[in-house]
Amino acid sequence: MAERVIGQSTEGADAVETPPHQPPRGATGWRRLDVPITYQLLTFVLFALAWQLYGTHRGGLLVPTFTETVVSLVDLLGRGEFWESMYISNQALVIGFVIAVSVGVPLGVLLGRFRTFERFTDVYLNILLVTPMAAIIPLLIMSVGFGLASRVILVTIFAIVLVIVSCRAGVRQIDPSLIEMARSYGASEAQVWRRILIPAAMPAIMTGIRLGLGRAVTGMVLVELLMVSLALGGLILEFRGMFQGGLLYATIVAILAEALILINIARWIERRATPWAQSATSTRSFQ
Amino acid sequence: MIELRGLSKTFVGRDGSTVEALKGVDLDVADGEFLTILGPSGCGKTTLLKTVAGLISWDSGEILINGSPVTGPGPDRAVVFQAFALMPWATVVENVAFGLQLRGVKKSEREERARKLIHTVGLEGFEKKRPGELSGGMQQRVGLARALAVDPQILLMDEPFGAVDEQTRRLLQEELLSIWEKTKLTVVFITHSMEEAVLLGDRVALMSARPGQIAEIVPVPLERPRSSDVHALERSKDYVEITAYLWDRLRDMHEEHRRETEAAAGGVA
Repeated sequence: MAERVIGQSTEGADAVETPPHQPPRGATGWRRLDVPITYQLLTFVLFALAWQLYGTHRGGLLVPTFTETVVSLVDLLGRGEFWESMYISNQALVIGFVIAVSVGVPLGVLLGRFRTFERFTDVYLNILLVTPMAAIIPLLIMSVGFGLASRVILVTIFAIVLVIVSCRAGVRQIDPSLIEMARSYGASEAQVWRRILIPAAMPAIMTGIRLGLGRAVTGMVLVELLMVSLALGGLILEFRGMFQGGLLYATIVAILAEALILINIARWIERRATPWAQSATSTRSFQ
Repeated sequence: MIELRGLSKTFVGRDGSTVEALKGVDLDVADGEFLTILGPSGCGKTTLLKTVAGLISWDSGEILINGSPVTGPGPDRAVVFQAFALMPWATVVENVAFGLQLRGVKKSEREERARKLIHTVGLEGFEKKRPGELSGGMQQRVGLARALAVDPQILLMDEPFGAVDEQTRRLLQEELLSIWEKTKLTVVFITHSMEEAVLLGDRVALMSARPGQIAEIVPVPLERPRSSDVHALERSKDYVEITAYLWDRLRDMHEEHRRETEAAAGGVA
């Protein structure tokens, strides 16, 4: 701020005051990722080392060392069984997530805009927010059966709540003076939606989609572990049953890797789509 | 020509409490006039402006613009908002062109017009920036350019320079004066600063609070154009006298209001 004042006093009467901050022009691509990646690598090395030591000295049958896990992971990635499981699991994930987004986003936006509508639905949303979703799994099996449908439903229920809540908050936070401004220039209700409400809520919508994706992955694995021992969840149970610690850990690592990749893609899209937003939940450590 | 006849507006709170924001306001604004409305905070100045803008309804009385009654927002009026009301996702050009976009003006056409006005308000070079990258003063320049872009006859300004720092406010006041001297728009300008009201206005409408009424209209006999030598103007006898007079009146109103509230409180007890 000190710079600004000095700059202003020397510029004279008709000069335009300098903006509060200039975006870092040169800081693109690798430079942005530079610092966090260094730290992340360091913590990863420390973690792997600790794991290795623990596995070697106190591991026993069910806790493989880090290196054993890496070897098993390579082995796992070479198996057709693994990729088939990935395909089956992700089928439920993709369908469930798409439903969650295509229903959750419009619903959340409507709830945010029309308060009366919300009074009827608030209690159900709260139930979905606080209830441990695993509890409804038996209920799902009884009513829908063991097929794809019940897995999709669970993934949807897991993901949709955060999508709705985030979109609703996004619409509610819109500065009312923006709507008033649009009306003062003669905007119709449709124009207010298209030009103000949707773009203004976009950052929150994108955040909701990203958070929902994380929950969808959780739902995907959980349903296979607790409901139908199938696909990735099935693999975990199978390897545990056969005391194959290395493969068990490798499967979990593979799931973690997939989740991490998906979340990062979502975050990248979020930043691309809403570059003006400073989302509180996205890590922007470079600023 | 803007005519307000017996304009009244009462806000009712959720608990049933009422606030008389406007009570029987009569006011005429001539074409090409720069009218400033001065009053303590909460006196209903913003409510008054928003009714003229067609953004909020009123209870009784009427507003006529060139003889026809106001029923909603119209292309003859443009508002400059206190908190800028810029779209953070849109660039400066897109923000300035917004009013034209809503009216269905072609993209190339509206952006050309926007660029012209960005030049007028001294923001060339910032066309592709977003509001978040601009200082408060620059954001309000965008707000002003957006209002001018739709080519209104009446500019309604709601404490437009209230949210910027002192130095920037001075620059903006001078620039607004020189823009107004060129365009000869009718301006209704809300402010809580006596200096600003006198410096800019042809007349100052002094408002009192609760109920919101026009207490007095004070003509400002300062010469035009004023933009060329604001410093000399501020040292002139007329300027100092009017400012002092307004200050006295505001203080009286404040005292009166306090006595009334005390009396009311005493009456209840």
